[in-house]
Amino acid sequence: MSSLEAIVRELRKAARRALGARYAAHALVGAVAWVAAVMILVRLVPFERRAELAVVGIPVALAIAAAAWLIRRPSAALLMAMADIRLGLKERLSTAWERRAESGPLDDAQRHDAVQHAARASLPAAFPVRVNRGEATLVAILAIFALALALLPNPMDQVLAQRQADRVSQARAAKAVADAKKKIADSGKPSPKDAQIQKILQDAQAKIHEADSPRKALESITPAEQQLQKLPDPGTPALQSSAENLANALSGTAAGRSAAQAISNNPAKGAQSVRDLASQLQSLSPKDREELAKALAKASQQAQNSQMRDSLSKASSSLQSGDAASAAQALNDVASQLDSLQEQENTDQAVAAAINGLEAARQGLAAQADRDANGQGGQANAGASPSAGASGNGTGNGTGNGNGNGTGNGTGTGGTGGTGGTGTGGTGSNGSGTGSGSGAASTERIYVPGQPVPGQSENDPTPLGPGQDVPLSPYTQVIEAYQQAALDATDQSLIPGSERDLVREYFSQLGEPRAAK
Amino acid sequence: MIAEEPRVDATRVTELAQSLETELARLIVGQKALLRDTVIALTAGGHVLLEGVPGLGKTVLVRSLGQTLSMSFSRIQFTPDLMPADIVGTNIIGDTDGRREFHYQAGPIFANLVLADEINRATPKTQSALLEAMQERTVTVGTQTRPLPSPFFVLATQNPIELEGTYPLPEAQLDRFFFKILVPFPSEGDLLEIARRTTGDSTPQLKSVADAGAILTAQRTAREVPIAEHVLRYAARLVSATHPDRSELDSVRHYVRWGASPRGLQTLVLAGKVRALLEGRYNVAFDDLNSVAQPALRHRIFLQFEAEADGITADRIISEILEHTAKEPASK
Repeated sequence: MSSLEAIVRELRKAARRALGARYAAHALVGAVAWVAAVMILVRLVPFERRAELAVVGIPVALAIAAAAWLIRRPSAALLMAMADIRLGLKERLSTAWERRAESGPLDDAQRHDAVQHAARASLPAAFPVRVNRGEATLVAILAIFALALALLPNPMDQVLAQRQADRVSQARAAKAVADAKKKIADSGKPSPKDAQIQKILQDAQAKIHEADSPRKALESITPAEQQLQKLPDPGTPALQSSAENLANALSGTAAGRSAAQAISNNPAKGAQSVRDLASQLQSLSPKDREELAKALAKASQQAQNSQMRDSLSKASSSLQSGDAASAAQALNDVASQLDSLQEQENTDQAVAAAINGLEAARQGLAAQADRDANGQGGQANAGASPSAGASGNGTGNGTGNGNGNGTGNGTGTGGTGGTGGTGTGGTGSNGSGTGSGSGAASTERIYVPGQPVPGQSENDPTPLGPGQDVPLSPYTQVIEAYQQAALDATDQSLIPGSERDLVREYFSQLGEPRAAK
Repeated sequence: MIAEEPRVDATRVTELAQSLETELARLIVGQKALLRDTVIALTAGGHVLLEGVPGLGKTVLVRSLGQTLSMSFSRIQFTPDLMPADIVGTNIIGDTDGRREFHYQAGPIFANLVLADEINRATPKTQSALLEAMQERTVTVGTQTRPLPSPFFVLATQNPIELEGTYPLPEAQLDRFFFKILVPFPSEGDLLEIARRTTGDSTPQLKSVADAGAILTAQRTAREVPIAEHVLRYAARLVSATHPDRSELDSVRHYVRWGASPRGLQTLVLAGKVRALLEGRYNVAFDDLNSVAQPALRHRIFLQFEAEADGITADRIISEILEHTAKEPASK
């Protein structure tokens, strides 16, 4: 191996060291610049995994620098030429390397001269390992900058905290819906509508979970409630009333007393007792038959359900005419209707449980949506434009369903577009209702607070006008107090969630001109 | 083991040049650059145009060079009435064995070392008589072409400030000079030394240190000096940069009318090789090219009138080119 190749090897080793140090410095600059850029970015855009994003740039910068270091292999000719320049060897090495295979009259002498001069020089000095002062300064500046950005308060922290709260709120709401599903499934009272109820709750849970914000999640609850409220049979109250009347009528008879008690306790048990009574008709005494026929006739007269009325009437007339078989058949029909009543009651209870779950979800989401609105109000001021939203008045009719028995009728006043309606359960608690209405064209003039007098604060008492003896409160203070009182009232009242949304939306609209100002 | 004895003894060239410089320095005070450039041109086999005001020792230098070399030397004083035949010779009628016939009478050009003193005083016709001699190293009189002795070395002098009755050399003839060397005014110390040496009762006697054979060997050896590809490319970039249509320098584009010819590149490389040998090196370095760039290129760059008006010289242009031309390392 010639001395020239030994020189090349030594130069290459030194160059690798020098390049390694230089690329390490480049990587350091890249990594610190990346961190600084991330620190700037997270101040402009809310980004949660900022630490991970900042850290991931460091190995990437190092990897890129390492790859560049590995790929870049200076040629021997380049190394020789650079050594010539940096060591003042007057192009001896580069000429010798270029002509290493030549055999001209002076080539050998030239190579010998080059090797001699290289031996006297310190070859590694051609590629010194040194830190570029500019790069070091840049790294220091960027590091200080990034550190300062990391330590100073970040305005995006509030946004991120709000997002986190939103997610927690939505997760809780989804869990409330899931709990309702589980409760219905575990109730032990199956109804033919269970599958539909589970499907509605499942969809609502998914929408709540996937919604962008609590407010969006709220929008998925009302439709679910409306779907649920379509499931109960409207004839159930009438059937329940008929069953109660039957129980009352039978309680006065010797033969039907036990059946009356069973009907009062549970329609299903009542059905079984009525079937037992039907099978015992043959063995009843004429007196008992007559007494039973009268009770059935009375119950028939009081029955609001037509089928029940017909069956009871038929059973009564058959007993009076001595046709025990027909009477038994009619009583069996009554028992079937009691079974049907049991199923409808089960459905009602499942629907009520589902709505309770949705309402629980609504409570949490609404509270978070309010907090979001309050938190964002200050930020929205600058960009919002003043606009007077038209509001309309409408009337709506709705039906309410509660846990208890009863029917509800109500009227509702819609907000914008007239979408609201209220229903109150007759005797049930926790009733909720939906309604529909068409809003009339708005003629209401919305009061928009005027611009404050220059030099006067908005919170300063307004000067008394002619004929006024009480100082006026500023609009913003009054409307905020109204809003707070209204929202407190809705939280404490057992009013449907859709109505609470209306209240919230109303005040939100009122707040728009204020925000725009 | 790489080192072997070189087939060409380059050290002899170095020794020859050093002894020439040492011997000339006994008579010529200071002017080291002038001596070095003259020796380089001599070793490279090129002709030299010496430019300087009267009394700076131009003629003394050439005469001294003739004394230090065991070669034929002739001096031609150029005057307006000098005819070409006065330089190259002519056919004259002579008496041979009772018969009268023409025979050729060689002119003073037939010498190894020719001093063309005040060359710009002769008419262009006479100046052009030197053209063939300088380039082809032959002389044609009538129908017969005769070779000049080898080595053949023309040293011409001219006075830059005396314009009355002078004929500036045309570009084509200037290009045939290997170097144009400016003879600077001596420093105060040199002036004192000149006074001491030349006003005493003794004048240094120069001895011959080389003959024609040694010079020819040195010329052949110089051409064997290797030059790396990237150094050669640098030389080409230097020459290209003297052309206004190729240069990126504003001064070149603005002031230069025409740049150096390919002969300029040949001169640059050959002079660089000689300088490398004179420096005891066996390869051409960037420094060698930079060192010889001024004398090799200054008479090959023709300036616009604006340059003269703005006081811009070819030397300044060359300095700028040297400053801005990149010495790119080899890319392979």
